[in-house]
Amino acid sequence: MADVVDGGVSAPAPRVQMRGIHKVYPDGTAALRGVDFRLHPGEIVGLLGENGAGKSTLMKILSGLLRPTRGEVLVEGHPARFRNPSDALRCGIGMVHQVFTLVPPFTALQNVLLGQEGAGLLRALPEASARARVQALLDELGLDVPLDVPVESLPVGVQQRVEICKTLYRGTSVLILDEPTSALTPGEADELFRFLRRLRDRGVGVVLITHKLREVLEVTDRVVVLRQGMVVGELSTGSATAENLAELMVGQVTGLRVRRTPRAPGQPVLSVRGLWVRDDQGRLAVRDLSFDVREGEIFGVAGVEGNGQSELVQALTGLRRFEAGEVRLEGQAVPTLEPLALYRRGLAHVPEDKARFGLALGFDLVENSILGRQRENQFLRGLGRLNRPAIVRYARELVERFHVVAPDLATPVRNLSGGNQQRLLVGREVSKQPKLVVAMHPTRGLDVASTVYIRELLVQLRDVGKAVLLVSADLDEVLELSDRVAVMYGGQFLAVGPSDHFRRETVGLLMGGVVPTGDADQPRAPSPR
Amino acid sequence: MRTSRALRPLAESLATVALGLVAGAVLIWAFGHPPGAAYRALVLGAFGTWEDLLETLAFATPLMLTALTFAVGVRGGLFNIGAEGQMYLGAVGATFVAGMVPMPAWVHLAAATLAGMAAGAVWALIPAALKAWRGAHEVISTIMCNWIALHLSMYLAINLLAEPGRAERTVPALPTARYPVLSEDSTLTAVVFVAVGFALLVYAYLWGTRAGYELRLAGENPDAARYAGVRPQRVVVLTFVIGGLAAGLAGASQVIGRPPAWSLYATLGNVTTLGFDGIGVALVGRNHPIGGILGAVLFGALAQGGRLMEYEVGVLSELVRALNGIIVFAMAVPELWSLIRRRFLRP
Repeated sequence: MADVVDGGVSAPAPRVQMRGIHKVYPDGTAALRGVDFRLHPGEIVGLLGENGAGKSTLMKILSGLLRPTRGEVLVEGHPARFRNPSDALRCGIGMVHQVFTLVPPFTALQNVLLGQEGAGLLRALPEASARARVQALLDELGLDVPLDVPVESLPVGVQQRVEICKTLYRGTSVLILDEPTSALTPGEADELFRFLRRLRDRGVGVVLITHKLREVLEVTDRVVVLRQGMVVGELSTGSATAENLAELMVGQVTGLRVRRTPRAPGQPVLSVRGLWVRDDQGRLAVRDLSFDVREGEIFGVAGVEGNGQSELVQALTGLRRFEAGEVRLEGQAVPTLEPLALYRRGLAHVPEDKARFGLALGFDLVENSILGRQRENQFLRGLGRLNRPAIVRYARELVERFHVVAPDLATPVRNLSGGNQQRLLVGREVSKQPKLVVAMHPTRGLDVASTVYIRELLVQLRDVGKAVLLVSADLDEVLELSDRVAVMYGGQFLAVGPSDHFRRETVGLLMGGVVPTGDADQPRAPSPR
Repeated sequence: MRTSRALRPLAESLATVALGLVAGAVLIWAFGHPPGAAYRALVLGAFGTWEDLLETLAFATPLMLTALTFAVGVRGGLFNIGAEGQMYLGAVGATFVAGMVPMPAWVHLAAATLAGMAAGAVWALIPAALKAWRGAHEVISTIMCNWIALHLSMYLAINLLAEPGRAERTVPALPTARYPVLSEDSTLTAVVFVAVGFALLVYAYLWGTRAGYELRLAGENPDAARYAGVRPQRVVVLTFVIGGLAAGLAGASQVIGRPPAWSLYATLGNVTTLGFDGIGVALVGRNHPIGGILGAVLFGALAQGGRLMEYEVGVLSELVRALNGIIVFAMAVPELWSLIRRRFLRP
């Protein structure tokens, strides 16, 4: 606790400073490209950016969870090298992650004490002696946490308080919060903000990772905007507006243009009416969505991740039950949780996480080429045996037609680059002769050549009359490829309209949950049909 | 390219076996015996004569089957350590048909074999159902089923299958239900062909059929399996049933395919630990049916050769069991090494 008090006096050197931070992941993705960051005692800094901008990576480096490829971290002006989060904690830096690290059946007190000095493998937690200190800390911070109830029975907002208390109990004076409000109700979020202000007044430095413009404007003192691994703006919150933050966050249109000729769409292939879907925690993630995707059009859904896109796509592709509503494929209602039935009726699905859903990384190219198609007669012989020659022939065809670079067909897909994995997956799905293609983040993390290739492929599919539903957190991708665009926020479409009616800044605002006002030519109200 | 990739697990397994033998040598030396002489006796005892080799294979026969149980489980994404109990029930089922239900010669043999396999599979259905429909973790349920199977089998052996006047064992298999002995000087019977054949069949099933593909897919990546329309419950049941068939056959092989007892001991003494040993064999065999056969021969050789090692050099036969353990431990060395590197050796 001493640190918290000491930090109250404004110090000359920043509490922590990061200089020239680069981070290249083992798969070659450059997540951070020379980022400078500093935090003073007694301020709240908002770290703003789209998905993949590098916010979490930067803060994981500061909290010792990741190591920078290059660059240095200074604590109180002195260089520090963190081998693990414990090292960072010893320097007073603690991070509260989106996914909590609490032990559900343990009480709040036990969770706070777990892993502390004095608790050992063979020693009991010093509950009795520490209780007074934990309670004193809670009182001091004005946090209301029942100490003797198993945390699993506490609401998420209170669990978060336990998590924060756990960090502060270790003398943390730099508190990093990763998207803290994503699981909270608006009331809980307001309470969190009040608490963060109190912490600031006590001299704690707070970093708030978020993509929500409203939160940044409401609670922070300073904003740092990241895009594509670089700081693109740093301003005091007083001089920031939602508009300029949105513009900084989404940036200018980049190169990769794909030619898309005008084309009149045909009949609806996919019709969604009044769809409600719950997420894994049972919260309503998709709220009363209605839309059509027609022959020969790309319908793009933009939005920051975690606004219900995953649940929407999973519901449409037979991977998730829907709560209410109706989904029709070519006029016929689709069954839930029957992906094979959907494939038979013309669905191709490029899933959001290829390594998780679309490929079996330990299997070779041959076996991956029939994933999801393993029951088609062309790949089978009598007695349910696989027709190996036919499958090998087909795999070879995919590799040649979609330019998959691989040493040979028996290579485990794990050993291919992300771009080649995605070419194999997209090739497999496209060669099903589908009527509807649902693609989520189809070019995420890919090299430029593969990105352009896959985008062109999606446009070609549209040109030959397929219906394409494109869901992506990459705003450029959605605006460039789509005929019609919807912006998803909080499980709903905040706006739907032809893509050339949207300006980037408007979409940026919408993605941050701000509906622009007084802009007459913008599609405003949800107009689903 | 392809062959080198396929042979890599084999090379790794051989390296860990070598590592285990070196560590075992240290252990033998620590107990005051000359490791060189001990290992010479071990190898001679296991492979020195034709009969020794056959005896090694006799030890290997049940192990390749219980290894198969574990290996199929891993391929299907399950940690099935229930081979032990499934094997007991397999032995009971085979004993019942072989000893108490007279039939014509070859039919009887086939019926007794199938009864053993079926009993193992039925016993495996309990954890399968608990997992598939109630989500109970298979490690817990198979351990509990092993204990229940132990006492149930002893009860059945003593009360239902007992031979009057012979309290220590069950009725022996009738001569019509015994696998032919391959050589008078060993206990190896033709059941070894059934065991190898079953392992090869499972191999062909897993890698050559649509259902086998889906089973392995569910084990490799459950989310991708869902995407491919594979029903998880079905895979769980299928995986357990195949494993139960293998374990049941292992149990049967010790009753109707292993002289001189041709029966189940009332203490289950002639089958206990074969199921657990199979886990180690499967690990050494990289959870592959063929690898399991090779691993079983290795462990069979240790069991058989260990006798001569004890007789000639005086190394306690318990040390051979320790050697088994050390080899299984050595399998973890590559992973352990990378763990140490991650944890302690980074800047």
